[in-house]
Amino acid sequence: MRVLRLSAAAVCLFALSLPTRSSPGDDVSERARKLHFSSIVLDTHDDTTQRLFSKDFDLGKRNPDGHVDIPRMREGGMNAIFFSIWIDGRTLGPPAIQKALDQIDAVQQNVRKYSKDLVAARTAEDVRRAHAQGKIAVLMGVEGGHMIGNDIRMVRIFSRLGVGYMTLSHFYNDEWADSSTDKPAHNGLTDYGKEIVREMNKQNVLVDISHVSDKTFYDALEVSKAPLIASHSSCRAICNHPRDMTDDMIEALAAKGGVIQINYEKSFIDQAYKDASEKLTGKDVVAQFDQIVKDCNGDQECIGRKATAREKQETAEGKLPRVSWERIIDHIDHVVKLVGADHVGLGSDFDGAGMPEGMDDCRHLPQITDALMRKGYSDADIRKILGGNILRVMEQAEKVSRELQAQN
Amino acid sequence: MHRNWRNPGVALAAAGLLAMSIAAGSISEKAKKLHFSSIVVDTHDDTTQRLLDPKFDLGVRHADGSIDIPRMKEGGLDAIFFSIWMSGKVTGPEAVERATRQINAVRDAVKKHPKEIMLATTAAEVRAAKKQGKIAALMGVEGGHMINSDLGVLRSYASLGVRYMTLTHSVNVEWADSSTDKAAHNGLTDFGKDVVREMNKLGVIVDISHVSDKTFYDALALSKAPMIASHSSCRAICDAPRNMTDQMIKDLAEKGGVIQINYHVGFLGQEFRDAERKDPSINESISREIKKRCPDENDEGCQLIEGDKITREYVAAGKLPRVDYTKIVEHIDHAVKLVGADHVGLGSDFDGANMPYGMEDATMLPKITEALLQKGYSESEVRKILGENTLRVLSEVGRVSKELQGKK
Repeated sequence: MRVLRLSAAAVCLFALSLPTRSSPGDDVSERARKLHFSSIVLDTHDDTTQRLFSKDFDLGKRNPDGHVDIPRMREGGMNAIFFSIWIDGRTLGPPAIQKALDQIDAVQQNVRKYSKDLVAARTAEDVRRAHAQGKIAVLMGVEGGHMIGNDIRMVRIFSRLGVGYMTLSHFYNDEWADSSTDKPAHNGLTDYGKEIVREMNKQNVLVDISHVSDKTFYDALEVSKAPLIASHSSCRAICNHPRDMTDDMIEALAAKGGVIQINYEKSFIDQAYKDASEKLTGKDVVAQFDQIVKDCNGDQECIGRKATAREKQETAEGKLPRVSWERIIDHIDHVVKLVGADHVGLGSDFDGAGMPEGMDDCRHLPQITDALMRKGYSDADIRKILGGNILRVMEQAEKVSRELQAQN
Repeated sequence: MHRNWRNPGVALAAAGLLAMSIAAGSISEKAKKLHFSSIVVDTHDDTTQRLLDPKFDLGVRHADGSIDIPRMKEGGLDAIFFSIWMSGKVTGPEAVERATRQINAVRDAVKKHPKEIMLATTAAEVRAAKKQGKIAALMGVEGGHMINSDLGVLRSYASLGVRYMTLTHSVNVEWADSSTDKAAHNGLTDFGKDVVREMNKLGVIVDISHVSDKTFYDALALSKAPMIASHSSCRAICDAPRNMTDQMIKDLAEKGGVIQINYHVGFLGQEFRDAERKDPSINESISREIKKRCPDENDEGCQLIEGDKITREYVAAGKLPRVDYTKIVEHIDHAVKLVGADHVGLGSDFDGANMPYGMEDATMLPKITEALLQKGYSESEVRKILGENTLRVLSEVGRVSKELQGKK
């Protein structure tokens, strides 16, 4: 779920698409196709979960809107996906926990319903096994520490229910961690927040530092015994947004074995778009989001719809510039130049963000492989970016968890 | 949990006659051998409330209460259903949150003593635990209010290891009538029926303790798997609405179910119940005394344990009649005479009710085996009552669940 301007269930059917790409993958080379479709392509952030509650959405069928469903995942070669468990950060305490349980259940119900295509996965080994069986591996990430209701024990409950990562905060500060889009209140992680990070290490829940303040990131980096991930963040050097990571942060993350999963949201990848967008709606992301949540009375689907509708209209009116999908490649390439190919991956924010033109849904993913190939990336490097890196981080976190459990 | 302390109803009487009882040291070799080679299952223990106190350690012997690992071992208690419970007045998301915390508390306590106790969710796992010399820990949710009318929450509980749910506690839920509340739904509502169907599908045993007679019959007509009364006794001996009529016991047995006898003195002995009802001021003063001893009104563990102690003080002072543990055997025998030995088991309500003399804690359980042998029960009948009947239901419920899931 990206910053404001849209959110869940984004319906991003652009009237305009780049003229060279009439349908997905048209000009993807045979070699790229072969590489792409034999690789594990793991996307660490998809807000499709919100759509699972809509009567009009069926994960098993091709849908005319949105970015992700089983047929389109198959077509785009996306064979592992983290469904985001997300509720707005103003919902706290027991209602937050119940809603999170409902979303986890909705994901699991869909896995049961489409057991020919989907299989639940909790470990890197599970993902590899799913791939070998020709199934899509389904994982889950809790997007926002507010969902544990300020109670470390909920980390264990979520882990047991199959949650593989937790983003420490969303747009707002938690009781124990500062967010990048809120006023600092804790100077990073509180002592309790540090305890939570240690518990996540123990329970094999990846520590996700997308959304958190820079100080929270550095605090988590210091405390965590396992590598961290940014499940859906891009590079601040290209687009100066607090949701993105500075070069220093990316270097520090990589030094500890972590990985940044590039977010495709237009306002995170394109400076001109971000500037235009801020001119229209102001810089106060939290205030804007509050207003939408209020207008929608907390209804999550409505929040997504409202934000999307506005953005769509503004783009059509020419108030917002067009952004090409190739911006995604710029961000990947920037990270690779900075820290090598071992520390970058894909965290689309599909169904939760505004996609750049040419990346209108997950069918377009082979274009990324093709573009990286054209840039001269080796097959091995491309496989790492598509999924190998995040699998490596998962394996390391699993090892750390086993060690910490054995210490007891 | 047998009652709500804040809503009392007890009374006075002379000390009861000391029925023929068996001293702990006088268990025959034959009974000991039989008892300790059997799988002894107790389907209802409120020890969970004590686990919420971080200072309580399940692994050490306690001077108060009825359950801890050393005493379970000494009494040959091999499998225990920890009750997830809170007052039916706690509703909405708060009930969900508190239930998940209790589930987590049980899982944590079990994890803390891996050599002695392990989590189990199937009959096969209970048998495997016994083989390894470990206690099997299972969980039951005592009251449908904890799902907050949300099947997703029910499924989450099942994923977390819950294997039965009592449809109501002492007050009605939105979808089912309780035996101790005014009828509001004429048994199960349509949604209540959906809950029962979902429980069948999930392999969660339908528990009809606490529910109204009409709710029982509605559930019985609908459930595809046998049901249990996790902690109820016989109304023919003690006319409490929480107990089952002979006809209900017959109908339950007819469909393969089991009544698990509750040891609470107010459900075992008519004279105790009469005394409570004759002078409501006794229970009121017990409640006041509990409040004094347990200043933290959220400390349910303290309230339950102290309630039992204070009741004993009243018995010692001659204000309430004494009930001997042999009453438990009377109830077992009554049910066996009615429907045979295949449909009776043990559902103590330890740590949640007032125990009869001679059954102060789990160490006393071999006395039940001894008493049944003395009554002329065969070894195989005794084994069934001690646990095999419950295990049969657990396997059958698992089988029905697989069948229902396979059909989908």
